[in-house]
Amino acid sequence: MEIKTLDKLPEKIIIPLRQHRGAVCEPLVKKGDRVLIGQKIGESKEYYSSAVHSSVCGEVLAIEEAAHPDGNKAMSIVIQPEDSNEAVEFSPCKDLKPEKLVELIKESGIVEHYGMPTHTVLKPKGKKIDTVLINATSSEWIGGTFKTPKEYASHVMDALKLLMKTAGAKKGAIVLRTDDKESINAFEGIEVDKKKLRVAPLVGGRKIGYYFKEQNSDIVVLSQKRIYGKKILNFFTYNVTGRKVNVGCDPTDVGVAVCGIKSAKAFYDAVHEGKPYYETVVSIEGVSDRMEYLIVRIGTPFKDVIDSYGYTGDIGKIIANGVRTGVAQYTDQVPVTKGTTRISLQKPEEIIRDESIECIHCARCVDVCPVELIPSRLAVMADQGRFDECRQIYIENCIECGDCAAVCPSKIHILQLIRYAKDAIEMAYEDLPSKESSNLKLGCCGGE
Amino acid sequence: MTYTISAPPHKKTKLDFRSLNISKIIALLPLCLAAIYFFGVPALGILIACVVAAVVTEFGIQTMFKQKVTIADGHAALTGLVLALLIPASAPLWVAVFAGFFAIAIGKHVFGGIGSYIFNPALVAWVFTRSAWTSYMTPLSIPHVGQFSDFILENGAGLMVDVSPILLVGGLYLIYKRYIDWRIPLAFFATMIVLPQTLLFISGVAALVHEGVLNPLMYMSQFFTFLEMSPELPYEMIGIVFFGILFIATDTSTSPVTKKGRIIYGITCGVLVFIYGHFGNFVDGTLYGIFLANCVASFIEINTMPASFGTKTLPQKVYRGVMDKIPASLKFEVMNNE
Repeated sequence: MEIKTLDKLPEKIIIPLRQHRGAVCEPLVKKGDRVLIGQKIGESKEYYSSAVHSSVCGEVLAIEEAAHPDGNKAMSIVIQPEDSNEAVEFSPCKDLKPEKLVELIKESGIVEHYGMPTHTVLKPKGKKIDTVLINATSSEWIGGTFKTPKEYASHVMDALKLLMKTAGAKKGAIVLRTDDKESINAFEGIEVDKKKLRVAPLVGGRKIGYYFKEQNSDIVVLSQKRIYGKKILNFFTYNVTGRKVNVGCDPTDVGVAVCGIKSAKAFYDAVHEGKPYYETVVSIEGVSDRMEYLIVRIGTPFKDVIDSYGYTGDIGKIIANGVRTGVAQYTDQVPVTKGTTRISLQKPEEIIRDESIECIHCARCVDVCPVELIPSRLAVMADQGRFDECRQIYIENCIECGDCAAVCPSKIHILQLIRYAKDAIEMAYEDLPSKESSNLKLGCCGGE
Repeated sequence: MTYTISAPPHKKTKLDFRSLNISKIIALLPLCLAAIYFFGVPALGILIACVVAAVVTEFGIQTMFKQKVTIADGHAALTGLVLALLIPASAPLWVAVFAGFFAIAIGKHVFGGIGSYIFNPALVAWVFTRSAWTSYMTPLSIPHVGQFSDFILENGAGLMVDVSPILLVGGLYLIYKRYIDWRIPLAFFATMIVLPQTLLFISGVAALVHEGVLNPLMYMSQFFTFLEMSPELPYEMIGIVFFGILFIATDTSTSPVTKKGRIIYGITCGVLVFIYGHFGNFVDGTLYGIFLANCVASFIEINTMPASFGTKTLPQKVYRGVMDKIPASLKFEVMNNE
């Protein structure tokens, strides 16, 4: 995989203090300060948080509200870069105790691509993790220089062992995409504890437990079809392990930690080089005839990423994180963040201008739904505000892949309506009392 | 510089409701041409009268009730065309005009328009018109397949739809392009093949029982009747049956949306059509059978709602229940050590 590096420095770098779920970081610098590459510029004392680091050497211009790729604004530190590679001293981590590793993840600012801080996935409060999965089926592009594909595979395998050590888990797996032949070839025959592993396909009813026994190993490499969507964790966990995650829970409630391959690589770099998470790989779609991959410093505006390809055509729409479920941006000054995986451009003539009509019950959305829902019925009930009926037909299982809205011949905004209903249900149940009646079964499934 | 902001997904299929309807009309055009060739100018008159009446009725209703006029999507024209093919060419034009009006006014818009109607509008109009003006609506003959050339041009055709079964091959193209679903036609067709063969087998067994035969081999040899062709099959494989399978049963508003439900609906159509055809004739049987199946489509849908992913099926529940009761010392199942 050919991945270039964006070397040209932008006019200014905008680093949001909120690039994760949880507590927003407090700025550690002020206007006029000089910062170095890798210097921590934002931090929060909360466990459910992650630090933020500078990706350039330069002067702080302002600390102000700025655009964020999720479509809102966030408090950000604006830095004017200098043409310098001066960085803070990176020191590898010598002490590999789980507590130290957790602290290292938090200090290095490592987060999953969907926003969850990685240490809260591996060490959730009050829960026990026994299996760690590296999800390499989505957001699968990582930077780095590897001499051979085997070196890449051994890197990821070492990262998995570090993640398992941090979580205190005995079992782990790397899940590849079945059509990613490059990665499958790299992992085929990899040696773990003097055992040669094979890439095992998850087909039919086979789950991870089958291959743990078949290959007689606590670590396996799997492959499965890619699952597109914004909320794929529960479905992904079920597909891989067979463990059903109940409504309102996440995989950590059933003992599974799901990490992306980007965060695994960042963790590996943090342990072996002491390097924090301040650059990421972004794919760019629409600037040429094929998908481009670029290593970008976090905080680089989209405009500079687009200009680096010399794109001179008209831009009708800029989409962060994919055309299926991504967010259209209102400005090109929005920065690349830790959660940005793709920048898509659309020409003005490519913009959809369809008008919705009534549902014709053609069942195309039912055929394409990966989690066996009836999206057309969900959309109608969401539109009418019948949220409890949406819950009865499993709206929480929706992974928000957007396929139903994409294939709808009536051009109904099914994805938007389903999200609206899910938000309404979440708000309706979020203020349940912790203990109201012994007849209520509360906990993470409160209100069920 | 300004950029467009809109909700995801930002890319959608090009297919829309209008292209679905236009493609179905195009698939039916060869059959219309064959009907005009076979029945002459009266067939052309029926076709035009029905389509124009349907479109004008929809325009009138939507104008009168101040709704958005949707005749451009082609659904009214398609309904009129389907209905015209079910009216004998000998019927007077005013019957065709009234049928077209009834299809759109009563069959479609009384139920709320696109996506809301329970019965196929063409079937609604056909059932009413057949009951109201039986003499005009009776076809002159009932077709059957006497030789292979009857698939190409059916000389015994009484309705325009019976003229040429092979020209309905456009419906297969619609399935290939996924304009219509494959589950309903497949289940419907399979049921129409299996039921007469099963009836032949059962009648053979009953005849042996009646004769007092005690040799088991004689009963087992009755299974070879599945290899023979039932004498009812030539009366089944006529144009209107294929038309019902490909164009009427697959109407999206009147069929279930669940995957299992669509298969059950196809089987239901097959059973009802066969029962009516067995005791009556398959021309009326096809239309009355699908009409009755439309009655139960919603019932089929709400009883085949998919469960949440990961829900165990009944055999899995039984197996798990049995295995959990076995004492640990007797277990042969591999233990889960996680």
